[in-house]
Amino acid sequence: MNLPKIHSISKKILVGALGAFLSFFLLFHASANLLILRHDGGEWYNAFCHFMGTYIIVKVMEIGLLAALLLHVVLAIWLAVTNKMARPKGYHKPQRSKTHTGSKLQVWTGILIFACLIMHFTDFYFVKIGLVKGKYLVKTEDIVALKVTQPDAFNYAEQQCEYSAKENWLTNFDKEDKAVLEAAGLEVEPDFYHQAREKFKILHIVIAYLVFFTVVWFHLRHGFAAVFQTFGLYNYKYGKAIEVLGQIYTWVVCLMFAVVVIGVYFGL
Amino acid sequence: MKFTLHIWRQENARAKGHFETYPLEGISPECSFLEMLDILNEQLINDRIAHPVCFDNDCREGICGMCGLYINGRPHGNDDGITTCQLHMRKFHDGDDIWIEPWRAKPFPVIRDLVVDRSAFDKIIQAGGYISTTTGGVPDANTIPIPKHKADMAMDAASCIGCGACVAACKNASAMLFVGAKVSHLALLPQGKIEAADRVHKMVCKMDELGFGSCTNTYACEAECPKLIKRQNISRLNRQWIGALFGRDRK
Amino acid sequence: MKLDSKIPAGPLAEKWTNYKASQKLVNPANKRKLDIIVVGTGLAGASAAASLGAMGFNVDIFCIQDSPRRAHSIAAQGGINAAKNYQNDGDSVERLFRDTIKGGDYRAREANVYRLAEVSGAIIDQCVAQGVPFARDYGGLLDNRSFGGAQVSRTFYAKGQTGQQLLLGAYGALSREIARGTVKLHTRCEMMDLVVVEGRARGIIVRNLVTGDLERYAAHAVVLATGGYGNLYYLSTNAMNSNGSAAWVCHRKGAAFANPCYVQIHPTCIPVHGDYQSKLTLMSESLRNDGRIWVPKKKEDAEAIRAGKLKPTEIPEENRDYYLERRYPAFGNLVPRDVASRAAKERCDAGYGVGTGFAVYLDFADAIQRLGKDVVEQKYGNLFQMYQKITDENPYETPMMIYPAIHYTMGGLWVDYELQTTIPGLFAAGEANFSDHGANRLGASALMQGLADGYFVLPYTMQNYLADQIYVGKISATSPEFDKAEVAVRERLNKLVTIGGDKTVDHFHKALGKIMWEYCGMARNTESLTKAKKLVSQLENEFWKKVFIPGTANEFNPELEKAYRLEDYFELAQLVIDDAMHREESCGGHFRTEHQTQDGETLRDDERFMYVAAWEYQGHGHPETMEKEPLVYEHIQIAKRNYK
Repeated sequence: MNLPKIHSISKKILVGALGAFLSFFLLFHASANLLILRHDGGEWYNAFCHFMGTYIIVKVMEIGLLAALLLHVVLAIWLAVTNKMARPKGYHKPQRSKTHTGSKLQVWTGILIFACLIMHFTDFYFVKIGLVKGKYLVKTEDIVALKVTQPDAFNYAEQQCEYSAKENWLTNFDKEDKAVLEAAGLEVEPDFYHQAREKFKILHIVIAYLVFFTVVWFHLRHGFAAVFQTFGLYNYKYGKAIEVLGQIYTWVVCLMFAVVVIGVYFGL
Repeated sequence: MKFTLHIWRQENARAKGHFETYPLEGISPECSFLEMLDILNEQLINDRIAHPVCFDNDCREGICGMCGLYINGRPHGNDDGITTCQLHMRKFHDGDDIWIEPWRAKPFPVIRDLVVDRSAFDKIIQAGGYISTTTGGVPDANTIPIPKHKADMAMDAASCIGCGACVAACKNASAMLFVGAKVSHLALLPQGKIEAADRVHKMVCKMDELGFGSCTNTYACEAECPKLIKRQNISRLNRQWIGALFGRDRK
Repeated sequence: MKLDSKIPAGPLAEKWTNYKASQKLVNPANKRKLDIIVVGTGLAGASAAASLGAMGFNVDIFCIQDSPRRAHSIAAQGGINAAKNYQNDGDSVERLFRDTIKGGDYRAREANVYRLAEVSGAIIDQCVAQGVPFARDYGGLLDNRSFGGAQVSRTFYAKGQTGQQLLLGAYGALSREIARGTVKLHTRCEMMDLVVVEGRARGIIVRNLVTGDLERYAAHAVVLATGGYGNLYYLSTNAMNSNGSAAWVCHRKGAAFANPCYVQIHPTCIPVHGDYQSKLTLMSESLRNDGRIWVPKKKEDAEAIRAGKLKPTEIPEENRDYYLERRYPAFGNLVPRDVASRAAKERCDAGYGVGTGFAVYLDFADAIQRLGKDVVEQKYGNLFQMYQKITDENPYETPMMIYPAIHYTMGGLWVDYELQTTIPGLFAAGEANFSDHGANRLGASALMQGLADGYFVLPYTMQNYLADQIYVGKISATSPEFDKAEVAVRERLNKLVTIGGDKTVDHFHKALGKIMWEYCGMARNTESLTKAKKLVSQLENEFWKKVFIPGTANEFNPELEKAYRLEDYFELAQLVIDDAMHREESCGGHFRTEHQTQDGETLRDDERFMYVAAWEYQGHGHPETMEKEPLVYEHIQIAKRNYK
């Protein structure tokens, strides 16, 4: 098999570029999350999610994002493996040079992030694609209408999903439920606002997410400056500034994520 | 002063190798690290204990780049900006255990004991780490003015002694600081710009081919470089590489 | 042996031009059929191999280190001279020529020195084209500094690492030729013998230092660029592996050795601090621009300092003896190297030395007061840091301690104008030849000479030799001469490893160094030289009985390498002593105490000794015979060397 040859630096540049793309996404994600803190019953946040879930360009980008994530991981692991091979026999004494610890942790924080992402996807993203049961938003008038026009479907929903009579929503959907209700003409989409508000009331989930953000913090903190270095933009003049900027970026992103989770927990 | 030395012994390239422990007493704190090893060797020979420990060394003033030992977890030992020959025993505590290992990297195979083969560095330079000139027929030196700050930066990069501490220190055994220093030195000068794109391409290809790892921005190289060569040179190498992706366009 | 220096006819300034115009050439298609061996990869070797390779010759180059870039040229700090006159201060080829002849105390060959000055400018052009990052002014043009023995600023420099940068430039050019396949590189290979076939140098026997194997290489010509023999003195500023053996085996095979007693001693080195010491570190000559050299005026103060009861900073101004300023008011602390060295020795021998008794102070207190610490740090920061790393003393607070040390050997293989030795086909370049420095080398001239020989002299003169060699065809490495040489080397090595005594090689080398330093060092006289000769013989006898070399000849064995180099040093030491004994005058680095002026300066004897002494080997243990090459000064006015 003849694989195209990617030189070490090109590989690094790819990992960096993908990483940069992913970290821009994080800023975007974190900013949007702040909408959860609005006590509007999810009006704004869900509207945003609606846009994200339906707009065609966003959908294409979503595939791109997932592909970027996977490629980032694959290339990084490939690099890590070849790098290990460059020193078949290691040192007896562990290294004591003054170094950037972030780099040494990068592969491991990366793997941890990947693990945390599975948790995160189970909580949210998989709900959207129907792999996992979760909260869905259905218009009140639709449900009321359904009760009248298609009582079978309504009964199904009531049995298979959880129906809150008070607020008129349905929760705990899976793919099948979604299909049945959509066949009944119901417009169904995930309710991430309430999903989040419910999840982040649970202490162990909050702690798990805070750990997640800490790992992201480590990964980003090294990654940001490293991307500049890898792109050849780190120099004598702007080196310090880039490092400071990286610190700010990392803190802002991670704090925004954390504020939402902690805020919801404390009923903000 | 008194020390317990743990030294990597390996009879030849094919032998397996192991650590051997030698106690050593009566060492003056003014003694340099290599002189301490001289004293050990003198004892090993006189008392017929073992074949003297082989280690590369030459100028013993920190410029030839020949010496290089991995001492207690640091290339060139526990001090900044020096080579092994410039390390003095006063940097240790009386009674210390000292672990001495050769550089470890796939492209630097052990020849004997602490001596490694660094010809991989020569091969990288041969791949393109020079400006193609033949003797004679060059313009007068002052017809090529160079901004002082550029000449100074080129000089800083050019001060690399090719000792291999960057490779030894790097967790990936990467030669990026070595290559970056040479690429930077030449790319900063107008004379070197002519072949810049080809040079960086050839040198990086050779570096990959020889089995060096890649840079993951740990900067252990920068921390251990006896000539304090900065990581900005790696950044410049990356920049040159990106430039070369397009700059090598040929009909 | 007949010495023919082959100096071209005509006026001095036209000799080289005339030579080049009338020399024989090799046509381009024939060049690749001619093989050349270059031994040594320093400035001279690397530049010669790169130039010859680029011309199309088939070159094999050898070095004992793991890479050509390790050669000791790399350690040169100060700079390289060139008559560029970029500073518009009156420099010219003529002036560089005159300064070099005078600096060498009128013991160098006029035509060679003039050629050196003539090509010096082209060296700078060549190096800049190679990307050597010389220091520059804000306008982007090259900067210069001044050095000892000159009244103009003609020294080009790259920080304190000029030698390194020049060598890396030559190494780059060499690497290019290696990549093109015109030069083949052999690292960790040591030349063990020269093979002479029908009176011509036709190849070498080398020892692969990794495996211990002996290998043969045949060629139409051999270039020796293996540096000097300063390590004869054990403690020197040379690298540990620098040695005189390659030149010495050529001498044994018939190449004359010239002026061996001319050895340069550098005044500013970090003093010896213990028996275990392996080498001496040079502190750049530039320090003498602002540092003041002194010792205590009172003997009891010196004693108290040596006993550690008194600190130098506690000695009041009136009790300090700034002996260079006292003796040489005109030049003060900036007298030439040999003069400064002898003055330091004189004070220490008289009991005024500090430290171990063999050191004097180099004090920057005045400079710091006058210029401020910042300025001093800017000028000398890296040197001060280096000093502090080695001695653990802060030179900003307490004066530096310095003492002279062996640095460079002006003597070497005798060569004619073409740099050819007395063996046809064997050329010698750089420090390995006796060359252009006479009895004393000026600062920043060694780099100039090495590169001049390699870039601009050998590529011409070797063609003149090789032109008719095309008829000889490929040289075979299987001839009886090669067999004989290889067997002899093998026997020699086996003899060494089977001695089985109980002392290390270093033990003997240190002892030899001490004898030479003590009795044939900075000051010599009939008595000391006679003593030295006797002691060296005794030591050599003891060596052959008592030395122990671990391991075998068929493996990586640094102890064996040291042993055969030391074996050659024993013979070389005898020759240095003989040469020093016969030269009954003082000139440059050779100071005979019997021949000095009333105030202790060198006293030349131009009547009797204005010649090059070329020695011919007569077999082990037999005194060598000497041939004179008279030095004829047609162009320059001979004068007394005065620095008062």
